[in-house]
Amino acid sequence: MDRSFLADKDVIAASHKFVCIRLATYENAEENEVLKGFFARGGNLENTVFTLLTPDGKTKLVTAGRSPAWAFGGVRGPGINAQPEESIKKMGQTMEAIALAYPGKGKAAQGLPSLPYLADLRLALNVAAADRQPLVVVYSDNVNQRKKMEKELSKVAWSEQFIGVAQYVPVSDASEFKSVKSLEATSGFVVVQPGTFGLTGEVIEVIDASTLAAKISGLLAEALGKHKPSQLTYEQHRQAGSQAGARWKSATPNTDGLSRRGGGRRPRR
Amino acid sequence: MKRIILFLSCCLWVAPQVSSAQQASVKATKDKAKKIAWHGTWKGGLAEAKRTGKPIMLVSAAPQCHSVPGVW
Repeated sequence: MDRSFLADKDVIAASHKFVCIRLATYENAEENEVLKGFFARGGNLENTVFTLLTPDGKTKLVTAGRSPAWAFGGVRGPGINAQPEESIKKMGQTMEAIALAYPGKGKAAQGLPSLPYLADLRLALNVAAADRQPLVVVYSDNVNQRKKMEKELSKVAWSEQFIGVAQYVPVSDASEFKSVKSLEATSGFVVVQPGTFGLTGEVIEVIDASTLAAKISGLLAEALGKHKPSQLTYEQHRQAGSQAGARWKSATPNTDGLSRRGGGRRPRR
Repeated sequence: MKRIILFLSCCLWVAPQVSSAQQASVKATKDKAKKIAWHGTWKGGLAEAKRTGKPIMLVSAAPQCHSVPGVW
């Protein structure tokens, strides 16, 4: 994944005028089709996709490709972390221009912002590990209680202090926690330390389900502060994962490279 | 398609022109903005974009490298 474009402070500032969606490729058949609608050489979904879209999600506003480099220039390829300054600047400027054209509804928007949820706990542990962030699980088997919890947490999650510092996922069934150690509560905001390879997790703290936003803020800050991110480099992570036998099986076949290699390779997961 | 290309051309032409006018507002938010908050599902993110009327930045990547998870 391209880090240099998305780590730039101007791009990050502009991103707050967008709704940012990051999908896990090959993990959802319906989302695969959405992505293929924007970029799929030879009809094959590639490992990474990047584009900017209108608010209805129907129209591309820049050239879609494997990374921002396809739209704004720069170095293409995996693991490129040092893009030209002018390309990064162009991305930030283009995003600001698009934000002017689509300024949003502002306070006229109905309802509260939704939590930036991941699809399920298994995937959320993996994504949180990949981002080296803690995971906040909104856990209750009662739909109404979970809605109240989401309403309170949303006020906190989108505040300046917490924006983008944790991953979020809803859970309604205790059986989903089978790979998470030390959970005793039957509901609550469960803050989890993902394992290095995102296959397991350990509970850092459970904040009571009835806690209101004003109090969640302090408790959440304290719990997130206990998270210990992995210090491994990319290569160290890969080697350690291979040695430890940590393996991930994607939900749908991995079709990356099929177009470029003539389609003769068997899809891998 | 032509409309999209025209729009993009306008964006790229307009960007430097408006950049100075935007500098103040961009600077005002720059210091606050430290991270990108990602919606993790298309359904959730699209609903939020429709609710707010904001444009979408869409990224996709596999959270694994040679089947080793926990890395982008």
